[in-house]
Amino acid sequence: MRIIVIGAGKVGYALAEHLTSEEHDVTVIDKSSEVIDRCSGALDVICLKGNGANAKTLLEAGVDKANIVIASTESDESNMLACLIAKRLGAQYTIARIRDPEFNESQTLLQNELGIDVAINPERATALEISRLLRYPFAGSIESFAKGQVEMVEFRALESDPFVGIAMKDLAASVPSLPRILYAMVDRNGTVLIPGGDFTILPGDRVFVSGDMMSITEYFRYLGRNKQKIRSVMLLGGGRISYYLSRLIVPMGIHVTLFEINEQKARSLSEQLPKVDVILGDGTDQDLLEEQGISQMDAFVTLSNRDEENLMTAMYAARRGVPKIIAKNSRTTYMEILNDLGLDSVISPQFITSSTILRYARARENSNGTRIERLYRLVDGKAEAIEFIARKGDAYIGIPLKDLHMRKGSLVSVIVHQGKIIVPFGKDHIEEGDHVVIISRDSGVSDLNEVLYK
Amino acid sequence: MNRKLIIRVLGAILLVEAAAMLPALIVSLIYQDGDTRALALSILAIAPVGLAMLLLPRPDPKDHLRLKEGFIITALGWILMSVCGALPFMLSGFLPRFEYAFFEAVSGFTTTGASVVTNFENFPHGVMLWRATTHWIGGMGVLVLTLALLPKLTGRTAHLVKAESPGPSLSKIVPQTGKTAKILYRIYILLTAIEFVALTICGMTPYESAVHTMATAGTGGFSCYGASIAAFDSVAIDIVISVFMFMFGVNFALYYKALIGERLKAFYKDEEFRWYFCYVTAFILLISLFNMPVYGNFFTSLRYGMFQICSVSSTTGFVTADFNQWPAVSHMLIIITMFIGSCAGSTAGGIKVVRINMAAKMSRRNVLATGHPKKMDVIRLDGKAVDESMVSQVAQFILMYVALVLLGGFLLALDGRFDVLSNLTASLTCVSNVGPGLGAVGPVENFAGYSIFGKVICSFLMLFGRLELLPMFILFTRSAWRKY
Repeated sequence: MRIIVIGAGKVGYALAEHLTSEEHDVTVIDKSSEVIDRCSGALDVICLKGNGANAKTLLEAGVDKANIVIASTESDESNMLACLIAKRLGAQYTIARIRDPEFNESQTLLQNELGIDVAINPERATALEISRLLRYPFAGSIESFAKGQVEMVEFRALESDPFVGIAMKDLAASVPSLPRILYAMVDRNGTVLIPGGDFTILPGDRVFVSGDMMSITEYFRYLGRNKQKIRSVMLLGGGRISYYLSRLIVPMGIHVTLFEINEQKARSLSEQLPKVDVILGDGTDQDLLEEQGISQMDAFVTLSNRDEENLMTAMYAARRGVPKIIAKNSRTTYMEILNDLGLDSVISPQFITSSTILRYARARENSNGTRIERLYRLVDGKAEAIEFIARKGDAYIGIPLKDLHMRKGSLVSVIVHQGKIIVPFGKDHIEEGDHVVIISRDSGVSDLNEVLYK
Repeated sequence: MNRKLIIRVLGAILLVEAAAMLPALIVSLIYQDGDTRALALSILAIAPVGLAMLLLPRPDPKDHLRLKEGFIITALGWILMSVCGALPFMLSGFLPRFEYAFFEAVSGFTTTGASVVTNFENFPHGVMLWRATTHWIGGMGVLVLTLALLPKLTGRTAHLVKAESPGPSLSKIVPQTGKTAKILYRIYILLTAIEFVALTICGMTPYESAVHTMATAGTGGFSCYGASIAAFDSVAIDIVISVFMFMFGVNFALYYKALIGERLKAFYKDEEFRWYFCYVTAFILLISLFNMPVYGNFFTSLRYGMFQICSVSSTTGFVTADFNQWPAVSHMLIIITMFIGSCAGSTAGGIKVVRINMAAKMSRRNVLATGHPKKMDVIRLDGKAVDESMVSQVAQFILMYVALVLLGGFLLALDGRFDVLSNLTASLTCVSNVGPGLGAVGPVENFAGYSIFGKVICSFLMLFGRLELLPMFILFTRSAWRKY
């Protein structure tokens, strides 16, 4: 596909990088020549210096033949304008990053009048992600597939877990009471492994299990992980994510304490969020945190604008024994180090935004011929979950999985057969029309026939 | 620097080179004049080494090619390729000494066309075709060819193309480097095929036509005759080759634009092309006028003037007239043409018209600035403002270029064989990848007269010129050889 990315900040750069690795023809437009220099050296794209809302620049980038235009500059207005002009000049599909909640409220209007097909709000998407993590506090990350019917949950294996040290193929025999579930992926010190029959999970591994909600709940109940339920949470920083997050979790019966250093912001937050305790003060101040009862909290979420503050304060909260800590970090590069430091849930709004946009781009591509239904990036992009629909005439149909060859580094995670979730084992087979979710270590799988063959 | 990655790409280059020897091998089998063994041995020597270099090192897939490594690969690749390309010349016994064979191979790949061959009659057909093939590959660039064939070789391939393709900035045709390389080669093959047919119609044998077409396409200038194109003495051939030499001096991106729908507009819209066209036309008319006393009438003078100017401006180096016999003012025009060369993104050498264009605008700005020191003045190209960093890069390039020509002239003077004019124009013709110079290295002479030292100096001057200085200069810095 021909894709134009306007604005190569953190989000735009990550998008361009991923889209080129999937062999799309990407053109990047940015105002800054420094950014352009960096992109033209590191990415296999055409770089254009200019304003993305300028018709001349857009035409030079070939907007009239573009399949997707993604506007991801810092400014909402520029993004809207760029999409509007791009659409008028013939772009097929436009995606805009729009952060201001005021604009979001008139979303249908935006879409109809401005020609924006999708408006992504990074802060809201991030808040959604955090709220899910707070719902399942034992999870490092949660991803849902097949219209939410299937979930994949990440958690850290403990010494005491019954499955630790036992080979996968002996698991059912050794621990018969353990509910059966699919072990989709293991992240061991930053390396993603796809467990086979001889694989054993070690303590400290980050394990990804997938299944329908019922079996996941049952599984974690058996492991004793879901005893903790979050009733109180502290938020550091009163930005937009905090606002959206509060709106999402207060109705769930969670008590929110929010720290904001700016008086005006704190006042307006307290006006908008009546049930939230807005504390005017520096949330990185340990005395203030103690005074507000940090040690009694069930969760601590750091959402300030500075990565360093977020991470330091998160580590302090971990030391004070807060069971669930979520830290925001804009850079995706340090994720591995942070996991080593014990911060399991580190989220990056940029990563969430680029993943969301990528999902739409993939869905677009689907209508343009490839067979991917949906794509999810996992573990900072080190693995992917890809949803396919099995088609008539494909070689794997009707054959038990154990009789098929499987591409190395891939695994069939879930089969959805007529709305019923099947966690596949060797004797199961795929039928025409089934939704199949594949977990794969390498990106670039574009057809189910590449993964499963006779 | 990442040695594994570098070795891997170099291996791919060698494989491509071995594959490029196959047509020559086939020709040698057809003509049976004793060079089959030399070509077969060369292929058998190069291909396994290339394959081993490509497959044995296993670079960390996370590693990216950095800009510096792109430059080093380009420089080392060209040297390595020239050394291997010298094998058929040595093994066939016609240029048995390494410095002769290496000079000839470098001259071929850099599309210079300066030769040390004196015994043209005995040259076997296969090796002669290989000599022309080096022009064809070197013209568009071996790394570009490698990337067209193996686009997934390594990440960040733009660095490789950037180091190899001539011009101040890399203008990609489509976003993916691999696809760009493929498109460039398709246009290249198309133009080559058209010229081949045209020359065959004009009376060349298919073999002669193949040799001269490849030499024109790469803007090289090796002919299979000592007298070059003058050997044919045909007005039609002169005109066809003149036109194609001019065409191969044009930025290939313009052909792509013309083909996808802009038609002739693509050319006259391009500022560099306009300058190129105007300067070549003006020089042809001027030199034809100045040469009137030599040829007697204007049209004969025009025939030779046009061919020689097209040849020198596109840095091909074919000749139909011994311009050593021309008046001094014509010599000056030829020297100036050697400096300028033709367009960026073509197969030609020289400083490039676009840089001369910017230099002219820079000079104008400097002069005007004395009147209005506070005036902000941007330099525009095709109506768009050019970044100041690019402007200063262009200025530095021209400075280094002239300095290199002078240094080359000095080193050749140390050789002690010829006069100042010969040495300076030899240096200039090597750096600009033209071929013939003036005086002792003139159109009917060759470079065999220089000593080993002189030949090595010339070989390196050609490499410096073809890779536009920086990739070669970086090899002489200590930071290039450090691991980090």
